[in-house]
Amino acid sequence: MLQEILQSLPQVLVDGLTLGAVYAVVALGYTMVYGILQLINFAHGEVFMSGAFIGTAFFILIMGMGWASAIPQFILLIIVLILTASITGLVGVGLERVAYRPLRNAPRLIPLITAIGISFILQDVVRFIAELFNGNYIVTGPSLFSEQITLKASAISSIFYDARFKTSFLIVLGVAIILMVALDYFVNKTKWGTAMRAVALDRETASLMSINVNKVISITFFIGSALGGATGVLFAVQYGTIDPYIGFILGLKAFIAAVLGGIGNIRGAMVGGMLLGLMEMFASANLSLLTGGVFGAEYKDVFAFAILILVLIFKPEGLLGKPTAEKV
Amino acid sequence: MKGKLATFFSNKQLQVILYSLFIIVTSAALYFSQKSVVSFLLLLSSLLILHFMNLKNVTKWIVALGLLFILIPFASSGGPAFQSYMEVATMVGIYISMALGLNIVVGMAGLLDLGFVAFFAVGAYSYSIFATSQASNFMPFGNFPLGGESFWGFLIVGGIMAAIAGVLIGVPVLRVKGDYLAIVTLGFGEIIRIIFNNGDRPINITNGAMGIASVTPPEIFGMTLSFPNQFYFVTLLILMFTIFAVLRMEHSKLGRSWKAVRENEIAAQAMGIPLVKTKLLAFALGASFSGIMGVVFAAKQAFIDPTSFTLMESFTILVMVVLGGMGSVPGVILGAAVVTILNLQVLTELTNWLNQLSLSGVLTIPDALSPAKMQKFIFGALLVAFALYRPKGLIPAKNKIFDVKKLKDHRPDHLNNDTKENSIPIDKVQV
Amino acid sequence: MTILEVTNITKQFGGLTANKDITMNVEEGKITAVIGPNGAGKTTFFNMITGVYQPTSGDIKLDGKSLVGLRPDEVAKKGISRTFQNIRLFGEMSVIENVLVGMHTHLKTNLIGILLNLPFTKKEEASAEKEAYRLLEYFELDHLLNEKANNLSYGAQRKLEIARALATKPKLILLDEPAAGMNPKETKELTEVIKRMGQEFNVTVLLIEHDMKLVMEISEHIVVLDHGEKIAEGNPEQIRTNPKVIEAYLGSAAVH
Repeated sequence: MLQEILQSLPQVLVDGLTLGAVYAVVALGYTMVYGILQLINFAHGEVFMSGAFIGTAFFILIMGMGWASAIPQFILLIIVLILTASITGLVGVGLERVAYRPLRNAPRLIPLITAIGISFILQDVVRFIAELFNGNYIVTGPSLFSEQITLKASAISSIFYDARFKTSFLIVLGVAIILMVALDYFVNKTKWGTAMRAVALDRETASLMSINVNKVISITFFIGSALGGATGVLFAVQYGTIDPYIGFILGLKAFIAAVLGGIGNIRGAMVGGMLLGLMEMFASANLSLLTGGVFGAEYKDVFAFAILILVLIFKPEGLLGKPTAEKV
Repeated sequence: MKGKLATFFSNKQLQVILYSLFIIVTSAALYFSQKSVVSFLLLLSSLLILHFMNLKNVTKWIVALGLLFILIPFASSGGPAFQSYMEVATMVGIYISMALGLNIVVGMAGLLDLGFVAFFAVGAYSYSIFATSQASNFMPFGNFPLGGESFWGFLIVGGIMAAIAGVLIGVPVLRVKGDYLAIVTLGFGEIIRIIFNNGDRPINITNGAMGIASVTPPEIFGMTLSFPNQFYFVTLLILMFTIFAVLRMEHSKLGRSWKAVRENEIAAQAMGIPLVKTKLLAFALGASFSGIMGVVFAAKQAFIDPTSFTLMESFTILVMVVLGGMGSVPGVILGAAVVTILNLQVLTELTNWLNQLSLSGVLTIPDALSPAKMQKFIFGALLVAFALYRPKGLIPAKNKIFDVKKLKDHRPDHLNNDTKENSIPIDKVQV
Repeated sequence: MTILEVTNITKQFGGLTANKDITMNVEEGKITAVIGPNGAGKTTFFNMITGVYQPTSGDIKLDGKSLVGLRPDEVAKKGISRTFQNIRLFGEMSVIENVLVGMHTHLKTNLIGILLNLPFTKKEEASAEKEAYRLLEYFELDHLLNEKANNLSYGAQRKLEIARALATKPKLILLDEPAAGMNPKETKELTEVIKRMGQEFNVTVLLIEHDMKLVMEISEHIVVLDHGEKIAEGNPEQIRTNPKVIEAYLGSAAVH
């Protein structure tokens, strides 16, 4: 059994890292908003999904123009990423204005409910638009970075099988890492990043220090949603086919990743995302093997939720978070 | 003018006369027309009007029971659409009961449960597995399928199974704080669905994605129940039980402890309320109402599969509670009725109507925009609009009004110095 | 007779020591006050007694039985009730319902009784309601009984918290800054109520308070905390003249 697990390991690592990178960047959006507002932005998964659709639309649009075929794929990707991130960033800012800001002093149940509502609205609006233009809400984007590469893992040791992936794997991983490093720099080294951390620690005191709290919150939503949207584009490039319902479960998983890493902690979200991606891929490849066929790969979502519950019970502050006690 | 109008409507006799007239007209319209959704809905809305009328509670209940048990089924029986009316009414009853269950958890105890449909599924599967030959795959003894009389016993079994599921989920989940609970329950809802969906291996218990077909219909006094109008009465009886139970709990020690936990956990604990136990009880009792209706649902459909128990169902029930008013029993009843009717009748009717318009070339509506597909958008918009502008729902929850006279009259032990151990010796001071 | 016996309790939050090696007794029937500058660890001390926090070391005994390791609701059942520095009422519930929640542990009915509305449940509920009403009368809140707790004035909310705490029929009641935010008239009334309360409800009072006038007027025994440690203890006169206490409050310059 161990042999079989080892054989598939290179492929599991490759797939796990791709998925983990996606989780990690989406998890950043949850963790940033939670850090500042102690709010689970349920609609974040839908922002990610909108990003995937907007990005795909741009790809189709630009590549439909004849002269655009001359543009190198990589430049095209960067343009689409920037455009999409700006749009979804603004969507995020608008969402906060409309659905969360008026409720900042309401009982905590209420903003959660608006968040669910916003999720539904985004899903249906995207479905409607996609169906209107495409005739079907399941959309397949143009194929990009689709050269097959084989990782000769068997050359290292004969116990491994080779892993196969598309070039897009490298793109997804690379862009995700660049985004995470950039965000980490922004939060820790810039003026607005410092303001963000201050607001997260103590909103009242931060406002007394002449920090414009509303602006900081808007910026947080912009960055979180821009990252989510950009990841959506990466997702569309990597997996090709998208539908309006990809955001919900993926958003949940990303949230689990954020909790795993320690909610409110930016580096924690990155670690949690990667870890969850790897664990999930490992589970889906080996669950059936490990349980003697009783549980198959269908149980990989169960596995992710089981991780969430275990973390919340035994280490609610997550891997990198600090424990907090409620003040009485 | 406005004042006159107000006195006009506050006149009790006049109210009663107008109300009776309304009922007579709508029921006549319903009885004599071939199919009139409008008059059916108007007749149902007479129950809502009744709620706001200035009558004694007992009178209201008698009128409501009369309407529900006699007039509504009779008036609907006039046309060929009888069974479809009864079908809708049965579904309304099932959803009201579930929404009342969720209301205990969300509205009273303040715990956002996003996987509530799981308990409905547990109830539905408990009956389906034993009322088909499915059970013989894993039961070493017994003769399956069980007969239709077992349905009545299974109402209780389904409720208990759901309550057990509620406790099993609750034990790990309720240690989790606030917001996380929503996500964890959502996860559990999905887990249960995935388990039912894959429960055909290694032992075939749930028949997996194929679902369970030919569930034995209930039987009573040798009569087999299989038509919606029969299930209507079964549902109605259970619903009445649910409403009475929920109302009793709301104004008891139990309901107060739930609300106290919702309002302030730390203070509730300082008053001697054990948090986990109180929340578990809310989970288990809420779940049991859902489980009971799950049994009814399975028997009525005679077929169940995991697609009836998706996340969307959980959210639908949540919409009912939020729309009606969290914590408000009459509100939740209204919310559940409105959402179910919207789902089952209004949206389909509207779609048909728009299709006809499109066919006749009056206007063209793209298929993507057909109301039947807009369910999510409508629910989302309702959730956002209500959370922002009317967070207390259509009929906000009200606290029980205590009558000062009753509290002052006949004080026990008033002049009695050897007060019971349990009572606070204030009277010593006051005398 | 000693009702509450605190021996050598210490509470550490990570590296921070909030309470260090505090030992004190509360005598039955006497009003005891815990005073000290802001951040002296008074509320932490209360939280340990009521089970909200567990002490890092040391023991707390009520009537000779240890409370360490019990949950807040179990402590409440043993006969300790409390109010909170930042008011924690059940805001959306009515005034009388707040008091009824306080009676929770004394209502013996069960689910069956509630569902069937059995005679004994009915009777118990009716007498609880009457009792709650009498408590409201005592605190002059009876005219507000159906009002939402959130809608009450600050002073009335403080009084309601005490009424709710008394409804649990405690042996020992802990009042955390009961006069905070009250105007002089309300404080004066409150002082009277606290003075009488002990006898009339057969309860021992332990309070935290910043209003020195109130403390000196009603306390029979005072414990002073500073930087998490007990620096003095005694009757009001002893505390008033204790140089350590003056130093803690006014800084060392005042003493020398």
